[in-house]
Amino acid sequence: MQGMLHLERLRTAIEALSQQARQHQQQAEAELTDVLRWLETAPSPAALRERTPPPDRPGEEVALPLQDLPLTSRLEALDAPAPSSVIIGVDGSQIAPDRHALALYYVIQVGALIFRYNGQAPTPVQEAELHFAEHELFDTEGLLITGQLGMRRTVAEMRLAVALAEKVRAEGVPTPILTLTDGPLLWPYSGRSDEEARALLPGYFAAFDRLRELGALPAGFVERPGGRGLIELLWQSRLDESGSPQRQGERHPEAVDDELLMAHFLAPGERSVWLTRPSQMNERHGRHGHPIWFCYVNLGEKGLPVIARLEVPRWAAERDDWALALHTTLLHQARLLNGNPYVLARAHELALVTHQDQAALESQLHRRLLERGLITRPSEKARQKRFF
Amino acid sequence: MHQTAPSIPIGNVLRADIRSFVVASRIPEPDVPTFGTFVRAPIQQGRAQLLGLVYDIRLQDDPFLRDLAASVVEGDPDYEEIIRDQREVRAVPVEISVVAVAYGDENGYHYGLPPQPPMILHRIHVCTPDEVRVLTSQPDFLRPLLENRDVPADELITRVLVRAAPLHGTPGSGAYQEYLLQAGRYLARRLGHEPLRLETILQQLQA
Repeated sequence: MQGMLHLERLRTAIEALSQQARQHQQQAEAELTDVLRWLETAPSPAALRERTPPPDRPGEEVALPLQDLPLTSRLEALDAPAPSSVIIGVDGSQIAPDRHALALYYVIQVGALIFRYNGQAPTPVQEAELHFAEHELFDTEGLLITGQLGMRRTVAEMRLAVALAEKVRAEGVPTPILTLTDGPLLWPYSGRSDEEARALLPGYFAAFDRLRELGALPAGFVERPGGRGLIELLWQSRLDESGSPQRQGERHPEAVDDELLMAHFLAPGERSVWLTRPSQMNERHGRHGHPIWFCYVNLGEKGLPVIARLEVPRWAAERDDWALALHTTLLHQARLLNGNPYVLARAHELALVTHQDQAALESQLHRRLLERGLITRPSEKARQKRFF
Repeated sequence: MHQTAPSIPIGNVLRADIRSFVVASRIPEPDVPTFGTFVRAPIQQGRAQLLGLVYDIRLQDDPFLRDLAASVVEGDPDYEEIIRDQREVRAVPVEISVVAVAYGDENGYHYGLPPQPPMILHRIHVCTPDEVRVLTSQPDFLRPLLENRDVPADELITRVLVRAAPLHGTPGSGAYQEYLLQAGRYLARRLGHEPLRLETILQQLQA
């Protein structure tokens, strides 16, 4: 029997999934009314900071406003980016090491687009590295580094952001030079591995140091942000000192999240105030001088909100002119592609390693190995997988 | 023989035989070769070069561009940089088809089919004017085109001769006219049994 997905066997589960999604949406909509009211009547940021207890467990972090703007502030951008503005979009892609391939290696390719608002055509950049040394392929426990590949790619992206910011700075471009990466800026991994502590995190924070020196503003772009930090903050504001709801009948919202709240709160083009998450990783960022703040921004149109989370270092967020430049530029970049910034879409395209690329690489590897008298081939498992 | 010339990176060889090859590539629009361009590709592990003519260029489906085209209006100053990026910088997915007309080695050019198709291709190079002038100095490069029913041969012949003639003499000069006359006589000998086809080609050359 040919392998295939028998959808008829999954029909019950598909039905259950859709039913659950509908129930979740109904619950979220029911909770939304209350949460919006909580937002409109929220205490001052100072009062919120004072009364919000630290989280009991990781993952329960509450978002905190660190400036004095009311939570209900809706900030607008300028009409257009300044002609001197520059934004650099950076993204990365990889080929993971595969024991079943004809050789053990991994590839990281990073792509970037330097976008200047001076009428010039943007500058594309692509850099690829092939890694094959044993110490690069295995961790200290002798395991393949497949799980660490994303981290190495993240650091490679930041290093390219630094290199390009240096290039742009040398052109005399005024600050801030905006750099935009796809994903959180707050280190999104556990931080517990030996490699992170020894090499990756120091390299990551060093990139932040250098970007700061250059007058660059690094930003992480997260589309469809998960998270309920703001929801949890608002819930905390409804509790008394004993941790019980001040008003009878109010319950902890379980379905609504920050994205849904912001989709109903922010008009197209508006952004929220800056918030931060007092997590262990953010504390680690802070020890290196780069605690991360975030805001929500609506990059959609009327009736079609697209909420993204922007993450930047505190030292950048605290500068109102820099925040305004980032906000304005991002709006322009996102207008054409339904909320996805153009520089990130192009950076992704430049970074992408397709299956065809990988096949061409393997073909050349095979040829070179043969020329050196090495007869290698993929494993039978890999070879037969290609039949499908 | 091999001077510095524009080159086209190859993403994937879709098909290759001794008559023609088709490659997929992603190149900026200004670098996309035109119909009738002479190109060369290495064969026999680099010991020889296949010489051919671009006879088809196909733009592959580009969802990114389609998305953008729905939002960007030509000439909109708000998106000047994006329009320039799409026109001048962004590599578009294309398929380029090349028909072989000759091959070259240390002994010079040999008209006709090459001994082997290109096996592994990383780049194909656009021939320099000097290379085209030498290659088209004899009309024998037209023979593989006349015998090939899989390409738009007549249009290709006309285009190639019109582009090659100025390399053999200033337009309007005696050398220029003599070159086209020599090509016309060659075609007349080869297409004597196809007078309508011959007439069509000669009329296009005169136009």
